[in-house]
Amino acid sequence: MLSILAKLLKALNSEASPSQISLAVCFALIMALTPLLSWHNAIVLLLALVIKVNLSAFIVSLGLFSLLAWFVDPYSASLGEQILTAPGLQETWTSLYQIDFLRITKFNHTLVMGGLVVSLIAFLPVFFLCRFLVVQYRAKLLAWVEKLWIAKLIKGSKFYRIYQAIAS
Amino acid sequence: MFSWIRWWGLIVFAVIFGGGAAFFIFAAGPLAKLSIEKVGTMVNGALVEVDSASVTFNPLGLKVKGLQVTDAKEPMRNTLELDQAVAELELAPLLIGKGIIRELSVDGLEFGTPRKRSGAVEKPKKEKKDDKPNAIQKALSNVEVPSAKEIIANEQLTTDNAGKAFKESYETNKKIIDEKLDAVPDESALKAYEDEIKAITSGKIESIEDFQKRKAQLDDLKKRFKQDQEAIAEARQAVKTGREEISTALKELKDAPGNDLAAIRDKYQLNAGGAANLTATLFGSEAGDMAAKALHWYEIVKPYLASSGDDDETVKEEKRVRDSGRYVHFATNDPWPSALLRHSHMTAAVSAGLISIEVKDLTHEPKVLGRPALVDVEGVELHSMDSVTANLVFDHTKKPGKDSLKLNIVNWQPVDFKLGMGDIKLTSAKVQIKADANVVRGQLEAQGDADFGQAGFVGGGKTFVEKELGLALKNIKEFNVHADAKGRVALPKVSISSDLDRQLSAAFKQRLNAKQDELEAELKQELNARLEKALGDHADVLTELQQVEGGLDAKLDKLKDMASSELKDFKQQQEEEAKAKAQQKADEEKDALKSKAKDKFKKLF
Repeated sequence: MLSILAKLLKALNSEASPSQISLAVCFALIMALTPLLSWHNAIVLLLALVIKVNLSAFIVSLGLFSLLAWFVDPYSASLGEQILTAPGLQETWTSLYQIDFLRITKFNHTLVMGGLVVSLIAFLPVFFLCRFLVVQYRAKLLAWVEKLWIAKLIKGSKFYRIYQAIAS
Repeated sequence: MFSWIRWWGLIVFAVIFGGGAAFFIFAAGPLAKLSIEKVGTMVNGALVEVDSASVTFNPLGLKVKGLQVTDAKEPMRNTLELDQAVAELELAPLLIGKGIIRELSVDGLEFGTPRKRSGAVEKPKKEKKDDKPNAIQKALSNVEVPSAKEIIANEQLTTDNAGKAFKESYETNKKIIDEKLDAVPDESALKAYEDEIKAITSGKIESIEDFQKRKAQLDDLKKRFKQDQEAIAEARQAVKTGREEISTALKELKDAPGNDLAAIRDKYQLNAGGAANLTATLFGSEAGDMAAKALHWYEIVKPYLASSGDDDETVKEEKRVRDSGRYVHFATNDPWPSALLRHSHMTAAVSAGLISIEVKDLTHEPKVLGRPALVDVEGVELHSMDSVTANLVFDHTKKPGKDSLKLNIVNWQPVDFKLGMGDIKLTSAKVQIKADANVVRGQLEAQGDADFGQAGFVGGGKTFVEKELGLALKNIKEFNVHADAKGRVALPKVSISSDLDRQLSAAFKQRLNAKQDELEAELKQELNARLEKALGDHADVLTELQQVEGGLDAKLDKLKDMASSELKDFKQQQEEEAKAKAQQKADEEKDALKSKAKDKFKKLF
């Protein structure tokens, strides 16, 4: 865990592209807000592995968003329920339901539908927000953070030794 | 463009999914075996064992070999056993975790097979229900009569109590009477009194002093008479009281056997009313066992026939967990419940022959499927009946769910069908059975009719009822049995009626009357023996007391007579003597005159 955090810090402090970090966070958002064992998550995982996103950022974000999901899931499920039971969409859903492949996607599951809609809606805003924050961190906060007494304390810790080993 | 691609990511992805697939291929079989054994044992309450389980790929499915389900009530017997079961699974639903079995084929299905080792599992101890007499046993309790000796040994008899009371009364009064009689003068004392009185009152009183002396002696004697009279009176009163008390106790003792007999007759009334429940006894245990087994399995299967809460009006409060959402199902010709057995056909060997079992649409989510689950059983090669059909419908597609059964058996020929009493057996018969049962909201409503023809019974038993019943049944050739069951599935109220009761009642009544007379005679004899024992040697005690009383009266009279004796005074005695002398002189003169006259008269002739 410490090494993953160190890698995340390394990514933040290194030359890794802010877009790569932000995209990893967005992929993690989708996986965290929808049931893990869903086929769309296999696609998300494939993308996260194949596209050069920052995997440390992906793993840490997945953990953090999974915690967030505990609170968001009821609202996601409720949203999914509304979408799937919306009278105007019944015909669409019913026709999609006849296709086995789509049924395998669990599109008719309230949490899958709600979570996916929430995460897709949040995808671009989270991407740009995350990218902006990484850039700002590197420009303004990195030097200031390094001067903080807590940073100095961390530099003397085991965690920092791991970080340095990875950075070198 | 390619600078954005991480090629080794593809390998990692392939490794993750390849590993998952490999795990499924190699571990699914053992995991399935473990799951069937663990979950099956938990649900069944006795060991469920599987020889092996493996995944098949063409068609995709699961093969289970050597499944044995132990009978929880008889751990050395299997409820069912099968050689092999192959479940053909549908791939698409399986990819989203839904187990849909397109076809389940079963080979070598058998019921009630013996086991090589016990299949019992340790369970928390429950109180045995069997210890309490069931309704049938209760109904028969007034028919089953012990022997006269047993009845008398078990009953609180008034004869015994009255005997005890009589003995106590006799002994108490005897003690009092004996004490009082000790103070009463005996015959020799009375004789002595007489002699004394005679001595005092007879003989010439010589002088005034002699007279006074005698008077003093007589007064003293009278004082003793008075004491003795009082003693006799007291003894007489004691005897009288004792006689009355003993008489009352004796009367109660003599009445007691009659009262006891009446009470016993009421309590152990042998009437044919008890026979009204005989059908329940005869057929209830066997039918009850079969029904109990069926209901036991129904109770086990029931939770899996409908998703929990489908029929429950109450909503259970659950611990808050991460919201897992739900599936929204849309109209389709091919619905996917979480678990479904679309179709299965199997043949099983049972005691009656071979039966064919066909199962359709068995699922715990019937609302998703939209069709009820069906189980059809039909006899194929039967040797003890012409045909048997059973149709089960588990319809939980709408509220309230309804489970129903229709059973039809034609010309069942039971052989040595053991009935519920003694060793009575139905050796032969042709039976037509029709039954139907419905369960709605956990409430069972079932009824069944069995028409018996060409019936033949053998056997009897050790007890009176069993013997008599065996004899009575021999004359019965046709009868019907009607059974009703209502109430909660776990504990339905069962009633069994039959025209056999009427037939048996008539036959029984006659035999019971004779038996009643026999029993009463035995009881009378037993009670009389007890009465004799209680009376012992005191049967004539009243006569004896009466004689004692009479003797006391005589003594009292005698004493009264003696007490009335008076001593004549001296003057009176002198006058009497003078008078006697004068009289004597006159008589002498008269006699002299008479002889003179006689002599003169003789001289004339």
